[in-house]
Amino acid sequence: MLLQLRNIFKWVQQGGQRIFLLKDINLEVQEGEFISIMGPSGSGKSTLLNVIGMLDTFDEGEYDFLSESVHTLKEKYRSNLYKEYIGFVFQSYHLLDDLTVEENLEMPLLYKKIKSSERKALVADMLDRFSIVGKKDLFPTQLSGGQQQLVGVARALIGKPKLILADEPTGNLNSQQSEEIMQLFKKLNKEEGVTIIQVTHSEKNAAYGSRIINLLDGRKI
Amino acid sequence: MFKNYIKIAWRNLFKNRVFTAANIVGLTLAFAVALLLTMTALFELSYDQFHVNKASVYQVYYSNQTPKGSDISTANPVPLAPTLKAEVPGVKHIARALSENALVSYGDNDFNLDGEFVDADYFSIFSFPTLIGNTNYPFPDQNSVSLTEEASKKLFGTTDGIGKTVRILIGKEEKPFTVSSILKNIPDNSSVSFDIAIPFENHWDYKEYTDDWDSQNHPVYLQLADGVSKSQFEESTVAFTLLHKEEQMNNMKRDGAQPDVNGNYSQLNLLPYTDKRFANFNSGALQIKRTFPYMILGIAFLIIFIACANFVNMNIALGEKRLKEIGMRKTLGAVKGQLFGQFWLESLLVFGIAIVLAILLSNLLIGPYKTLFNTNATFANLMTPVILGIFLMGIFLVTLITGGYPALLLSKLNTLKALKGKWELGKNGVRNALIVVQFVIAIVLITGTLVFQGQLQFMRSKNLGFNKEQVVSIPLNGKKDSYRVVELMRNELNGNSNILSVTGSDNNLGRGKDGSMSTSKFGFEHKGRVVNSNVLNVDYDYAKTLDIQLLEGRMFSREYSADSLSMVINEAMVKELNEEDNPLSTRIYFDEDSVAYNVIGVLKDYNHQDISKSIEPLTFFLDKNYDLYYAYVKVAPADMANSFDTIKSAWQKVEPNAEFLGSFLDENIDRTFRREKSMATIITAGSILGIVLSCIGLFAMSLLVVAQRTKEIGVRKVIGASTSSITILLTKDFLKLVGIAFVIGAPIAWYALDKWLQDYAFRVPLSIWFFVGAGLLAALIALLTVGARTMKAAAANPVKSLRTE
Repeated sequence: MLLQLRNIFKWVQQGGQRIFLLKDINLEVQEGEFISIMGPSGSGKSTLLNVIGMLDTFDEGEYDFLSESVHTLKEKYRSNLYKEYIGFVFQSYHLLDDLTVEENLEMPLLYKKIKSSERKALVADMLDRFSIVGKKDLFPTQLSGGQQQLVGVARALIGKPKLILADEPTGNLNSQQSEEIMQLFKKLNKEEGVTIIQVTHSEKNAAYGSRIINLLDGRKI
Repeated sequence: MFKNYIKIAWRNLFKNRVFTAANIVGLTLAFAVALLLTMTALFELSYDQFHVNKASVYQVYYSNQTPKGSDISTANPVPLAPTLKAEVPGVKHIARALSENALVSYGDNDFNLDGEFVDADYFSIFSFPTLIGNTNYPFPDQNSVSLTEEASKKLFGTTDGIGKTVRILIGKEEKPFTVSSILKNIPDNSSVSFDIAIPFENHWDYKEYTDDWDSQNHPVYLQLADGVSKSQFEESTVAFTLLHKEEQMNNMKRDGAQPDVNGNYSQLNLLPYTDKRFANFNSGALQIKRTFPYMILGIAFLIIFIACANFVNMNIALGEKRLKEIGMRKTLGAVKGQLFGQFWLESLLVFGIAIVLAILLSNLLIGPYKTLFNTNATFANLMTPVILGIFLMGIFLVTLITGGYPALLLSKLNTLKALKGKWELGKNGVRNALIVVQFVIAIVLITGTLVFQGQLQFMRSKNLGFNKEQVVSIPLNGKKDSYRVVELMRNELNGNSNILSVTGSDNNLGRGKDGSMSTSKFGFEHKGRVVNSNVLNVDYDYAKTLDIQLLEGRMFSREYSADSLSMVINEAMVKELNEEDNPLSTRIYFDEDSVAYNVIGVLKDYNHQDISKSIEPLTFFLDKNYDLYYAYVKVAPADMANSFDTIKSAWQKVEPNAEFLGSFLDENIDRTFRREKSMATIITAGSILGIVLSCIGLFAMSLLVVAQRTKEIGVRKVIGASTSSITILLTKDFLKLVGIAFVIGAPIAWYALDKWLQDYAFRVPLSIWFFVGAGLLAALIALLTVGARTMKAAAANPVKSLRTE
């Protein structure tokens, strides 16, 4: 088992009242799964994804990731855990505009303290695999949205994570680009056994997954 | 990793080049100016620190109790030094030192040198090392002299002048002396400076005063024996003073003086030699004030603070543009420490560039700086390990704090919020506080500038009671008899319609090109009471030449043969004598059995001394037994430059071997407040720089605030706000800060300036307009800086600003 959420609650105080963002979420994810989280706006999809990705905290409940209890870890260990095992893909790509494609890909490796020669090899490998060798010296703003997201996925993958979290990865792309990215996810899941959890609005994209979780007002339904 | 940081830093700095440039320019200017100012301050503070024995070397001074309060005298009678050493234990070395111009001749040439008549012990007390010759006995006999390298070069064309014989004018006759040692040039940061040292016994006054305890004309320096403390020694001189100053003390008692806390009427005190440059006796008590160097250091610090505050503010504000990067880096596994390191490194980069540029800039500026501020300071003065260490520490600390604070704020951000580009800047507390402090500094400096310039203007334009515009004073530095020189000048210039009058006296007004300033005082008994007065020996036509107003009686005149027994006094002296009813009937006996002197005239008070002093009693004599030292020539207001040349050529005819050092009195007066002038220049430059830097910061802040509030501006405009109301809305916030700064800054400025002005007997009134003016100026400048940008933002199309959401 990759991760397990038990009775997760998350809320904010507003005018003396608790507004629940997540309410009693229980979830088990096995390695190799491809899960789609769906639900209307404000149902807590992104919040759940962020909690899983350890970018956000929760107020109650327990969270085990690879049999480590995340809720008891300090920031530094948590950061070690997610930089080792989790890759993120965002709707708006979040590439660093000041770095070239190559440098963007290299960055996660820097934080993992990987040696220079090895970094070079891994980046070259990744550029090759995604057929973007010719674009390695370009800056993100010089690329189309689809290409940027491709770099985003490559960056998420370069650290060889066990889990990829994707928050509406195709939200800013046209249908053809969407299709390409989803095919890529499917391939990664099938051929390399990478676990993927994606948040999506689109039924079509959700169908790529092996399991769909529906959320409404912070609850699983 | 490091390379990556540098790369990112570089690209970022380049991307925000307006801000980067503002920061680098600001920091460079601030550091460069701070470097120069610190150099000046440290140079001032290093005065006399080179003496090896500085911890045990003192100058002797007497605190005397007079009916008018305590009074300090640094001049001592000739027998004091040897007697003190003989009678009071604890003196290791003691030396008399009398500064006097020495007319030195070698071959056919005459040289006017800065002479110092000293006892041989002088060279044991002070560290003026000998280059050639015997260090321990610079004077093997009383006919030897020591020259500095420079003087030797001037006289002989070589620095090795050992064994050569020179003639020195001692009183009215020339005496031969042998050069027995060559001294290293006197360092710039020494409070005494001389070209030639002559054994004390050769001074023309020495013989007459060898046993005279009543005439005082020179400072005395001593080195205490090991283990003797200053207070111990001062205490042990009480009996000595009682013995030798008995009569004087009895007179003080009789005239109603109050004894000091220990019941003494006269107390010998020691002034630590390293405090000499900062000592002030004007108030009747010793005051040691290092205001000038500390003020300069303070200004340097304030300027650095302003520049650093800009840096902090801009960096925090610019951080907003980098939220996405921060968030992304965190999702990729960066921890707080790494982000802190990255941002701090960027700050270091900017600081590094600024410091390198500042060092270059200050080296370029040092020449003009030294002329402008009239200092001999150089960076070489500062190259001691301790100072360099402190300097590096200082830079490190400044960089740590200013670079570290924004880095800390940014690295602490929550990942998700950063990714979403949301950053609660709090209530902008730190930013506003920094801006307020910047403007407090700016307002204090502007007020200081206005008041300093005001005081300077006041001193310059004050009616001193004599004509300073039309009178040239000439130091009589030749060999001829002074009365004859004045007479020859009179004849030489006679008939020239532009020369109105010629006279002479034994003291200068202001500070002439010869650089010397002196005071002569005497005291006598009048109607059973000791009376003290400054004394001035003059030639005929003194009041006429200097346009000093005669209130009663007459001046000395050629028509009265008995004028050598007459005296003219000023109003202050009338009061001192207590003869207000009929001053002209006053008769004065200087000794019980002497002839009487008659007061023949009363002159209106004029500033015969430094303008920082109130006008003291002054008595004029016309006594040909005493030399004149200065000639005065009054010229017509028309074509003064030409008249000056006429005087110069007349001088060269009269005294062909002596250098002409004449100068107009207003130049001389200006020279007396050289220090005030440098202070005013420094504080003016400081305040201009302070304002410029504050404005750079304010401008950057206005750019960023406008960017932050784009949406608000758009919404307001859509709802119907006018351009002007939005401009006011945006500008108001900044002006409020300037207002707060004024409320804090004005009292600080008032307190400091009031205290400073207390040192001047004649001072400009501290009017409220100085403060209002400074406040308005600061507000106006702030308004201009912020206004341009806000108006543009307010005028922008709201559709555009709303679309950025």
